[in-house]
This record gives sequence, C-alpha cells and structure tokens, in this order.
Amino acid sequence: MSLFTILLSALLVNNFVLVRFLGICPFMGVSKDVDSAIGMGLATTFVMVVAAAATWLIQWFILEPLGLPFLQTLSFILVIASMVQLVEMFLHKTSPGLYRAMGIFLPLITTNCAILGFAIMGVQNSYSFIETVIFGLGAGLGFTLALMLMAGIREEMQFADIPKPLRGVGIAFIVAGLLSLAFGGFAGLV
Amino acid sequence: MNESLRMVVVLAIIGMVSAGILSVVYGTTSVIIEENAARALESAVYEVLPGTASVEIIRRQANELRVDDPKEMREAEQETTLIYQGLDAQGNVLGYAFVGEANGYGGVIRLLVGVDEATDQILNVKVLSHSETPGLGDRIEGEGFRNRFVGKTVEDPITIGQDIDNLSGATVSATAATDAIRRGLSEALAAYRGGE
Amino acid sequence: MWKDFVRGLWADNPTFRLNIGLCPVLAVTVSALNGLSMGLATTLVLICSSALISLLKNLIPAKVRIPAFIIVIATFVTIVDLVMHAYLPDLHSVLGLFIPLIVVNCIVLGRAEAFAAKHSVLRSAVDGIGMGLGFTWALTLLGAIRELLGSGSLFGMALLPEGATTLGIMSLPPGAFITLGLLMAMMNMITARQKKTAS
Repeated sequence: MSLFTILLSALLVNNFVLVRFLGICPFMGVSKDVDSAIGMGLATTFVMVVAAAATWLIQWFILEPLGLPFLQTLSFILVIASMVQLVEMFLHKTSPGLYRAMGIFLPLITTNCAILGFAIMGVQNSYSFIETVIFGLGAGLGFTLALMLMAGIREEMQFADIPKPLRGVGIAFIVAGLLSLAFGGFAGLV
Repeated sequence: MNESLRMVVVLAIIGMVSAGILSVVYGTTSVIIEENAARALESAVYEVLPGTASVEIIRRQANELRVDDPKEMREAEQETTLIYQGLDAQGNVLGYAFVGEANGYGGVIRLLVGVDEATDQILNVKVLSHSETPGLGDRIEGEGFRNRFVGKTVEDPITIGQDIDNLSGATVSATAATDAIRRGLSEALAAYRGGE
Repeated sequence: MWKDFVRGLWADNPTFRLNIGLCPVLAVTVSALNGLSMGLATTLVLICSSALISLLKNLIPAKVRIPAFIIVIATFVTIVDLVMHAYLPDLHSVLGLFIPLIVVNCIVLGRAEAFAAKHSVLRSAVDGIGMGLGFTWALTLLGAIRELLGSGSLFGMALLPEGATTLGIMSLPPGAFITLGLLMAMMNMITARQKKTAS
C-alpha cells in the first residue's frame, strides 16, 4: 500500500471522527467556533505525528524484542501523556504565541482516544516507521478537517430556529450524522 | 522523605506492581488465546477443504531470518509458513491450506486458501479477518468474489484486471486480497512441495 | 450511598447528561449485545479502578496523581482485555480496538479525579457501579434501536419477518450519530416535562 493511499484513507475514507468514531469528545466539545477548532486540530495533529514516531520505536525496539506486548496499552498511554507534557513545555519556552493559541487544548489531548487508537492501529497493521508517521499525519489532518467542518456549521446554526429539546448536543449529533453520510461518498475513492 | 523522591518511589512501585500483575495474567491467558486462535484456524480448514476429517499442521521455514531490524525479524518469524494438510477419514491427503495476508484499505486482510492435492488448483477461499469498509471493501467476503479464484493454479497470473475481475469501488481491498492469494500460493506451494 | 448509586443512572448519566465517553457509545452499538458487553466491561474497569484509587488516595502525592491514576486504569483495562480475549474471543474481536481504549474513556479518569480521589472506598465503588450501569443502559438502548432498525433483530434474535425492509444506514456510522442525537433530544424533553410537573 502506497504512502498516498495511507494518507488518503486516514484523512477521508476512514476519517477518524466521522467513520471510526475516535475523538468524539473533543469533536463535540471544541467545535463551537472555527478558530479554536483549527487550534485544537493542529495541536492534535502535531502530537499525533510525534506520538507516531515514539510509539513505533517503543513497540518494535522495546515491547516486541522483550516479549512484553501486554504492556502496550500502559506504555502507549504513558508515552502519549508525557509527549503532551513535553510539547507543552517546549511550546511554552520557544513560542509563547503558539503556546497561547494551543496551550489550553494540550491537556485535553491526552484523553483524546484518537491518539491511542491510531497508535494501536498502526501496530496492528504492522506499518513501517514512515508509514506510521504518514498515518498519524493523515489521521490528525482528518480530525482537523472534521472539526473545522463541524465548527463552521455550528457557527451558522446559532441563528437557526432549532426545536428546544434538540438544542446543543442533540442537533450537533444529527449534523455529525449528515457529515458522516457525506464522507460515506469517499468510500469508493482510491 | 524528600517530596520529589517520594513521587518517583510511589510511581515506580505502582508501575512495578502493575507490570507484575499483568505479566501473570498474560502468562495464563496467552496460552488460551493461542489455543483459541489455532482451533479457529483449524475449523476454517474444514471449510476450505471439503471432505476433510482431520487436519495436520506442517511447519516450513520460508526465509532466512534477518536479525538487523527487529520489525523485519518479527515479519520473518511470521514467514514461517504454516501449512494445514487436510486428510479424509481413511487418512488420504485431500489437499492443503495456507494463510495469506496483505494490507487492505482499513488494515490487514487474512485469508485461508484451500488447494487440491492432486491438481494444485484452488478449491476454496475464506476470509479470516479484515477491517475493510462495510458495504464496499467487505464484499471480498462474498461468494461472488471468492469464487473468482476457484480453479486457479500457481501458473495463472491471479491478478486484478487479468484473470480476476475487479470489485468496483473496492479496488484496494480486491487487489490486496488477490495479492495475498497469489503470493501465498507460490510460497505455500514451494514450501509444501519443496520439503518433500 | 443510594444517591451515589442513582446519580449515574439518570441525573448525571455520563452519556446523556455529561456527554463524556462518547466514542464507544457510537462505535460498538451496532447491536444490543455489543452495547451491553462494552458497557459491562467499562463498568468493571470503573468499579475496580475507582475502589483502588480511593484506597491509594493518601499514598499518592498530588503532583503525580494523574499518571498514577492512568497506570492503575491501564492495568485493569489490560486485564479485562486479556481475559476477554481468552474466554470470549468472538466478542473480543467485535469490540476490538475499543477495549484498550477504555483507558482514555473520560468517564473512568473523570470519576477517579472527581469522586474516588475524595471519597471512601465503598462510596467510590458504588459511584463506579452507578456510573457504569448508567453508561451500560445508554449503550444497550442505542444498540437495541440500531440493531432493530438496521438488521431487524434484537440480541441476535430475528424479530422482523424474512424479507422485511431494514434501514441499512442504521448499522453504518451516520445511523449512530443521528440516533444518538434524537435520543438526547428525547432525554431533554423528558427532563423538561419532569421539571414542569415538579414546579
């Protein structure tokens, strides 16, 4: 499978949010306006790419040779959590502007199941190092795309007359369902 | 006690206890997990080799181990070709079956292919596991697609667009399944016949 | 104590009220049985980790609280994962990825942080049971609706006559989103009505 197919598959066809249902919490929580959606999306993409490299090394150089596959979940989540911490500290020191933009989202990323999910999937598919990184990039950008689309629609929806019980999360889920239906159209794309 | 030391000690203890418990649980469950997987595979052999009464497992080393890269090493270990020989009630060899693997759209596609002992023709194909798109890629499980391989031998190209019709909208899944069968067939045949 | 139990079932239902831990709610609810099993697996992890964290709460320094909680939770999740893989292989292959992902289910870490770290072992365990069962019935309900409309059966038993038209879309991702959205609206309506009659 070529790198391009992996990227396209993670980005559109098997979009992490709309098709695989990973990362729903931030998708619902941080999609109220487009700016924070982009911030959250890019911060997540960044952590995903870094975590892709880290988890690949751990899996193939520590867990597999030592015969400890059962520590996968434990070690991956700890690595992701510490990655997020490192990224936070690094941004704080080097780029205060970026830190102000992304900072509030970073702690939320640890519990984003899209990151742990994609790391485990990468191992299951026995991707090579480069493939894993590209997979992470595609997954992160797919997450960003879904978040942006959702935020754009929700901004417009503020002015719509929605039946009272549906307001808030209810209508957001129905919109997500329609978006997911639209993404179903990518299914035959190769 | 120094506070930061205490933090490290507490975390280390929790981590060690957790790793200890997990290794015990893993030790007990991994045996059962492997047995289950072997049993599931064996029962699939009965499906792809009609008339089989008992199954024998033959191990063949396909490639030399490359030890420089841990990932390649794992792959090479997996290349130890396991061939399942199907015997009828009288103990005559009916045919053999092998597992083929390839990366599809959503993940690894694993298939079991049954081959006739006398003619080396494919008798049946069964998809063991896949994570292809429902409604499109998962049609590789359908009889219509699987039957396209019946009667093929290692002499045939077994390639999408040549002797195997494509599945429209599921090119990647169909190609991956076809590649898995073609590669697996030549490897299994070489390992099976070569070792006699 | 009774309050700790019922809170998770309705007033603070993790799915419909707190809107947390939604990924498995959508992903595994193709059938009622999948929903029920996923709910029970999560409940088990929730009870064990809440109880243990509450027991350890005075030993763990505040600064490394979160990593310590994560290790405890990940350990229980891996145990559940391995045991299911060994004894319920079919179910394990259906729920697949979403078993290890219980680690990052916000309900588990959220209850550890918000409740178990402050209350007694017994109360934390009861809170875990309540929250877990609240999560379980939400998953089972969603699974039942999707299974009935999508494949015309319930808990694997065919209910609709052979050849009846089913809504295939309900088994696919869009069906999950839309059904959950409508269920949330229904919960809001019921709550609004309850408030009206109360006042």
